[in-house]
Amino acid sequence: MVSGALWAHHGQGLSFDTAHMWTTWATVEEFDYINPHPAIKFSRTDKNGNVEHWGAEVANNPSRLARVGWTKSRSMAALAPGTRVKLYLATSLAGGHLAYVELIESEKGELICSERENPIKAEDLDGVPNGYQPKPEDAKPEQK
Amino acid sequence: MTNNNGLARFRGRALKVLSLAAVPAFLLGQGPAPQNGRAVATKVVNDDVNKTYPLSDFDTRPYDKHDFNGIWARNPAAQFNQPPCPECRDNSRPSYGYFGDVPPMTPEGQKRFEANHPTKGYVAGSKQALEHADIHVGYRRAVQSALSNDPEERCEPLGLTRLVTFSGGNPPMQIVQTPEIIIERFEWFWDNREIWTDGRSLPKVEDYLPRFNGYSAGHWEGDTLVVTTVGFDDRAWVDAYGYPISEKAVLEERYSRPTRNRLRLDMTLTDPVNYTRPWHSSTKVWGLIPKEAASVAGWSGIVEDRCVPQDNSQFRSFEPEPPSAKK
Repeated sequence: MVSGALWAHHGQGLSFDTAHMWTTWATVEEFDYINPHPAIKFSRTDKNGNVEHWGAEVANNPSRLARVGWTKSRSMAALAPGTRVKLYLATSLAGGHLAYVELIESEKGELICSERENPIKAEDLDGVPNGYQPKPEDAKPEQK
Repeated sequence: MTNNNGLARFRGRALKVLSLAAVPAFLLGQGPAPQNGRAVATKVVNDDVNKTYPLSDFDTRPYDKHDFNGIWARNPAAQFNQPPCPECRDNSRPSYGYFGDVPPMTPEGQKRFEANHPTKGYVAGSKQALEHADIHVGYRRAVQSALSNDPEERCEPLGLTRLVTFSGGNPPMQIVQTPEIIIERFEWFWDNREIWTDGRSLPKVEDYLPRFNGYSAGHWEGDTLVVTTVGFDDRAWVDAYGYPISEKAVLEERYSRPTRNRLRLDMTLTDPVNYTRPWHSSTKVWGLIPKEAASVAGWSGIVEDRCVPQDNSQFRSFEPEPPSAKK
């Protein structure tokens, strides 16, 4: 997939701050293998012990995932509630706890439920309260 | 970092393809000697269906130029392990649109165009949009989903030209052909269109219901299938970039199969309601995908990539509201 800024598939590049990808460890609360893109609800704990609850859409769509072996049953099993994962994500440009998850990494260091074979560049914000929250200057031109 | 099992299997298959493709087939004892100095008939084994099949570009069996049956993709290398097809890709960015030289619009067409707010293309006012000021404004005016009225965002029908121009990008198109009808099946949105080749005339659409994929009749001119379509539903867009189409539009498609592994299409849209002259598309080229290469869990063929409103509503609940909607 071309970067969101160039090819705004379902508007990800416009709705989410894909210029500031970050990572965090999280616990899966719910994962849905749906079209046009899977959705995930997860929690993360900041360094003060506060638990945040987030919702996110996931990059690849089910037909593409299935073609590379990530069928529904396998994906649902890999992301069962309670599973610990490392997420590579972009926060909603509107701020808050909505995000776009580009990559998911298991505790074993495997990329799961993804077409990608390599991690992407992202800032480690594990434990940082609210992760990366877009600043006014991060807004896209039509949002200013 | 280690890879996941699914990708490992996929990569293993890809490596098998690559390794076999790199070695002349005759050295592997899997096919005939090179023809015209080129290795041919390279075969791979699909783990899912446990059959050998030839990579499309190395399949030199005779073929019928009037036979379009098969699965076709405009990015055969992605997901399908086929050799790259540079001519299949739109020679432009953004991609997967109708393209060609966009005609000047009529006042009505301009009004409809401006009422459509796509999510695809360069972001309105962005650096990329400014850097591509030479391309038509339709490709550099994207807005976020919450501000868009793109039918795709609501699982509404895409319409024929959009299905055709997007199909085969990553989701492929399957053609099923009989002597009297050709069906194009589109993986994305799990839609289809029919081309009747039984000699019928087009319907009198002013007395008939318009429909998103119109009414199509085709005939052969030499080795070119010429298809005329009328009766469009004007709620569709020409492509992902919000160009309007009217119920008075007439679309001509000219399909040919210049080689065994390529399908070629040129389109002309004549729509006097919206455009001041006929609009010729850029040429679309698809690569043939062996059905065994389009296989999931032992089942080969295109995938049901349907837009389900219930799922889409849930998906959209993860879409942020625009800043203007924030309280």
